[in-house]
Amino acid sequence: MKRQIAVIVEHTGNRILPVTYESLSFAMELGERLGLNLSVLILGNSIEAMAKQLAERTGSHVTGIKGAQLESYNGEAYKGAIVEILEAFDPSYICMPHTATGFDLAPRIAFFLNASCVTSVEKIRVREGNIRFIRSMFNGKLHAEMAPATAKAVLTILPGAWPSLEIHPGSKGSVHIIRTNFSPIASQTLEIKESRKEKLNLGDADVIISAGRGIRKPANLHLLEELAKIFPKSVLGSSKAACDLGWLGYQHQIGITGQTVSPRLYIACGISGAVQHISGMRGSQTIIGINSDPDASIFNAADYGIVEDLETFIPTLLEEFRHFSESS
Amino acid sequence: MKLLVCVKQVPDSEGHLSINQEGSWVTYEGKTAFRMNRFDEFAIEEALLIRDHISHDKQTSINAVSVGPPRTSLTLKKAMAMGADEGIHILWDQNLYMSPFDTASLIASYAKDKAYDMILTGVMAEDDMHCLVGQFIAEILGYPCATSVIHQEIINGGSQLSVEREIESGRRECLRLNLPAVLTIQSGINTPRYPSLSNVIRARDQKIITMDAENLQTLKKREELVSLSYPEPSSKGFFLDGTQREKAQTLLRILHEKSFI
Ligand SMILES: Cc1cc2nc3c(=O)[nH]c(=O)nc-3n(C[C@H](O)[C@H](O)[C@H](O)COP(=O)(O)OP(=O)(O)OC[C@H]3O[C@@H](n4cnc5c(N)ncnc54)[C@H](O)[C@@H]3O)c2cc1C
Ligand SMILES: Nc1ncnc2c1ncn2[C@@H]1O[C@H](COP(=O)(O)O)[C@@H](O)[C@H]1O
Repeated sequence: MKRQIAVIVEHTGNRILPVTYESLSFAMELGERLGLNLSVLILGNSIEAMAKQLAERTGSHVTGIKGAQLESYNGEAYKGAIVEILEAFDPSYICMPHTATGFDLAPRIAFFLNASCVTSVEKIRVREGNIRFIRSMFNGKLHAEMAPATAKAVLTILPGAWPSLEIHPGSKGSVHIIRTNFSPIASQTLEIKESRKEKLNLGDADVIISAGRGIRKPANLHLLEELAKIFPKSVLGSSKAACDLGWLGYQHQIGITGQTVSPRLYIACGISGAVQHISGMRGSQTIIGINSDPDASIFNAADYGIVEDLETFIPTLLEEFRHFSESS
Repeated sequence: MKLLVCVKQVPDSEGHLSINQEGSWVTYEGKTAFRMNRFDEFAIEEALLIRDHISHDKQTSINAVSVGPPRTSLTLKKAMAMGADEGIHILWDQNLYMSPFDTASLIASYAKDKAYDMILTGVMAEDDMHCLVGQFIAEILGYPCATSVIHQEIINGGSQLSVEREIESGRRECLRLNLPAVLTIQSGINTPRYPSLSNVIRARDQKIITMDAENLQTLKKREELVSLSYPEPSSKGFFLDGTQREKAQTLLRILHEKSFI
């Protein structure tokens, strides 16, 4: 039998998360290169409909692991319910999205299976027949090529790095549901609380001016406010770092743990370009980065890069704007 | 209660990073500034808040541990200046990459017979960005673990923890853990304090316990970093050039052409 590449599905409220289809797309690509069979694993309590949907869309075999203790994610319960099944399946690779669930679960499984664990994979590279996984370090300033030193590897896939899986024609796939009554002993998930953050709908804005730690002091926020005024429908966004410092409320935060936005124009001011931030704004139509560090990785995402100190650049820009509007 | 906080020293990554000749890691030049990983500042602060909260327990102690070359001792001093009682330096005198599994294996080997009630780490190291070390320590020691923790509270007379972890879109997962446990702390959980002058002076005289990484038992290697490279510059973007004023003018022209203004 062909060796397997397994994908663990992430879902919430009976809905498969879009990042799962990106991990599936990654697994298809790696599977094709290495001649591995894709198999899909989904854990939960009411998973039948999702399992069927996955089988149809991937044309692969879907194993559902069902139990009352799996109603919502719990690292200990998920690990307990899945490791024996994974030992039997013996996949060479186990993949899942790099989310708070993914990076919680991946090392638990890797430890048990004596597997390597590579997180936040964004590219596959083949060198002299060896598979390497590329991931970012130093807020995206460097790329590292990682190689598993073991027979098996558990990988988490960076959201946004692979396209969503197309519907797979041909085979209809198949579903097999296994029941488990594994109960966690040392930890218990009680509930999922919805975001407590006040709602600020960044999604409606045409233009977002975002502040990062690089604005250096809250007093400089007024520069961004002035800049925002030159655009009709604009709001202030921010990086998590600027929120953590108390400069802006969390309702302004953009990124994986904040809001996902795709305005027509996004201006990142003093933001380094960490993957967790980029994930939340890469869908913007035009991206401008203002950063004093020419190596900042925000420039890899930007359409226009401006290497300047924003404390002097934004005032100059505002001054030029006044000339511009007087003359036009 | 005995608390252990893992702190990592990281380079301040504003500015250019040079890759060494072998392409295996970064060479830090004399001017590189090092500091405590920011997520670990939140972990230290959280430990200090726990100690304040259970001040009736006079036995509460906070140890800070770090794996790294000699310069790492400065980061341990900072942890002590913030208020940690003791610094433990697992000395690994090489400027090379260490995998998260190896780091965790060293810290777990140190911690295993010390009866810590809680081990705190940051959710992520700003340099290598794995989000793994805390979970691996928990697995090696067989402790329960919660990642990306944004709130914690000791409950049931000190036998359990009530925890909230931050997941996507700002939602929170609430769980309960038995102690001993490992928590990986997310930024924003608190406001890390600046060391007070008296604490800085006290920390200056405090000794750091140093042990050689080679004398600790470690587990077999799991994954390797083969090489580092600079990301290919994006094909879509370009830099505006000229003086500051010229850049401002160019930008306004672009914004006008695209009918933003
Ligand atoms: C699980 C997890 C979830 C996360 N979720 C999010 C999220 O949702 N959103 C998010 O944003 N982050 C998130 N993060 C944090 C993320 O990893 C980064 O730490 C954060 O985005 C950094 O914010 P920053 O770019 O503002 O700060 P820094 O990384 O400190 O960057 C500051 C930048 O400002 C520049 N600068 C400094 N001075 C000036 C000046 N005078 N003029 C111009 N530029 C200047 C510097 O060159 C630097 O590039 C998350 C992290 C984890 C582990
Ligand atoms: N060399 C180290 N010494 C001490 N703690 C570390 C070290 N490396 C990582 N950690 C801890 O593990 C956390 C997560 O690191 P990482 O898994 O590398 O992203 C950090 O925030 C630190 O608390």
